[in-house]
Amino acid sequence: MPTVMTHMVAWYPDRDRSLEAAAALAAGGASYLEIQFPFSDPMADGPVIQAACTKALEAGFTLSGGFDLIRQITSMVDIPVYIMSYASPAVSMGVERFVTSARQAGASGCIIPDLPVGCDEGFFAYSKSIGMDAVPVIAPNVTHKRLEEILSVSPRYVYTALRAGITGTQTVLDQPLIDFLSVLSAQKVKVLGGFGISSSEQIRALSPYVHAVVVGSHLVRAITEAVSHGRSVSESIRSAMKQWEQ
Amino acid sequence: MKHSDNGFFGTFGGKYVAEVLRAPLDELEQAFSEAMADEEFLHRIEDEAKTYTGRPTPLLHARRASEQLGGAQIYIKLEGLANTGAHKINNALGQGLLAQRMGKKRIIAETGAGQHGVATAAVCARLGLECVIYMGEVDMNRQYPNVFWMRQYGAQVIPVTSGSSTLKDAVNEALRDWASSYGDTHYLLGSALGPAPYPDMVREFQSVIGNEVKRQSEGLQVEAMIACVGGGSNAIGFFSPFIEAVEPALYGAEAGGRGDAPGDHAVRMNGQGSIGVVQGYKSRFLLDLDGQVQTTHSVSAGLDYPGIGPQLAHLGEQGRIQFCSIRDEEAIEAVKFFARNEGLCFALESAHAGALAMKLAPDIPPDRAIIVNMSGRGDKDIFITARAIDEQQWTEFLHKEVQR
Repeated sequence: MPTVMTHMVAWYPDRDRSLEAAAALAAGGASYLEIQFPFSDPMADGPVIQAACTKALEAGFTLSGGFDLIRQITSMVDIPVYIMSYASPAVSMGVERFVTSARQAGASGCIIPDLPVGCDEGFFAYSKSIGMDAVPVIAPNVTHKRLEEILSVSPRYVYTALRAGITGTQTVLDQPLIDFLSVLSAQKVKVLGGFGISSSEQIRALSPYVHAVVVGSHLVRAITEAVSHGRSVSESIRSAMKQWEQ
Repeated sequence: MKHSDNGFFGTFGGKYVAEVLRAPLDELEQAFSEAMADEEFLHRIEDEAKTYTGRPTPLLHARRASEQLGGAQIYIKLEGLANTGAHKINNALGQGLLAQRMGKKRIIAETGAGQHGVATAAVCARLGLECVIYMGEVDMNRQYPNVFWMRQYGAQVIPVTSGSSTLKDAVNEALRDWASSYGDTHYLLGSALGPAPYPDMVREFQSVIGNEVKRQSEGLQVEAMIACVGGGSNAIGFFSPFIEAVEPALYGAEAGGRGDAPGDHAVRMNGQGSIGVVQGYKSRFLLDLDGQVQTTHSVSAGLDYPGIGPQLAHLGEQGRIQFCSIRDEEAIEAVKFFARNEGLCFALESAHAGALAMKLAPDIPPDRAIIVNMSGRGDKDIFITARAIDEQQWTEFLHKEVQR
């Protein structure tokens, strides 16, 4: 099994089944769990995850409930858990309180794509001060100068969107992308690479160039299909992940 | 402050975007500052403004309205006479020419009321650029005349069905498009909000309104200036040359909707909004306690946006601009009042400013003036105003029209 960070949305399709999903992802061989807190306006996500966010909010997600779910998950699984959120929930709560709550819930760090280095409301400095990972999200169109700025906060991980665009559109691993990943790998930073990964071929193709492959929309879609066909969420996840081993 | 300090107005503004949008925003910022230093580009804008937009727009002394209200002399800046019927054309033209200067072939835009979409589509038709407009499905239904005209101008109008299917969702969709298309595409954002450089850029292209007013109002004792505020592009352009002075008083009219309950209005200032980061910038937004964006309501599709431009939020916090809220029915009354007394057809958005003028004028002496920005004309609103004012006759007409 290659090293994979799996992505899921808290409260999707509801609290209990998102807990079930987390357990199934860990059991299926994920090395990291990325758990997204749903937001009303997830502008960096595609239609699959946006629809999941809308459903999750309808199912009653709250921030306090979200941290409680994370606590339950981190006590249940023995792999690192990262919280992905948009800026608005974190800023509303106060970025320091948000990161502190994540830590108290047992998460290893947070990923907040619209709090980029320099416009981050103290996210990077505060996380570091309490030993939490603040994971910057970068894209292949990043300039050399900007990459230096981002790496100047000395993150342990960077999260890389491999395709210019939004989550869920197919990623093709072309030469410029491979060059970009090679430049990154030369830095003292572990690369989490994803966006649009859906097949075992893509995972295998990408694995040599990154620390972990991020699989997102593909798994959220598996949950959506399970729900619409009345199947078990954990069963669907298990069979989706089984394919990656082949 | 008149310009942002590196994208910030006080603590508001910024470039809170996913990294993929950083490069196109930096490119745009650079191109904008180069273009604004290029005399030829500025002349081109001026020439188009004169011959295509129809600038300068008049500043009308509303004598009968002033008499009726029995106070200050009301002057109305007739932005609704600009080509395509609203101030939106000023920004669409500026950014359209900028996009062309940058070598972009395709324009995308969001629209709420549809005025920005119409202006963008018209400019694209004139400049020969491909045009895609994202519009919430709810807005498409209530502003169909604008959808019709966008299509006539050759734009592709894409309905947005996510979230609340209104302006903010159209912004999300446009940003998503841009994240993968910026190589050949310019995102022509319609209001003075979003990540830097948009708030500065949109204000600069809209400041032609205020600059004309400044010249046109020479010799008047101007007590107050009033504009409606959705995202705030007409307001910031209208106020722009007056921001750094102490006078006149500047008023922003927000959509008070149908009540004070969450979801019934779009009042972001005056304590109802909270400081947040949404859609790439920091400002005041209507959020719940967990930072989720709340639904809003206004009779006017252009004022129901849950956020406000960062510069306006900053000027509000500093006390330079006072914000007041106007209910739906007060806006409708203002449409009727100015139609009857001045032969003017206010857009429902601008009628919020008109309604605030009606409230303020009686307490100001007749030797003083107040200037209202009629940011747009109300022809597009006929399906809403006709129903609100005379439902029976309007419904009968629609039935007959369908049967014809």
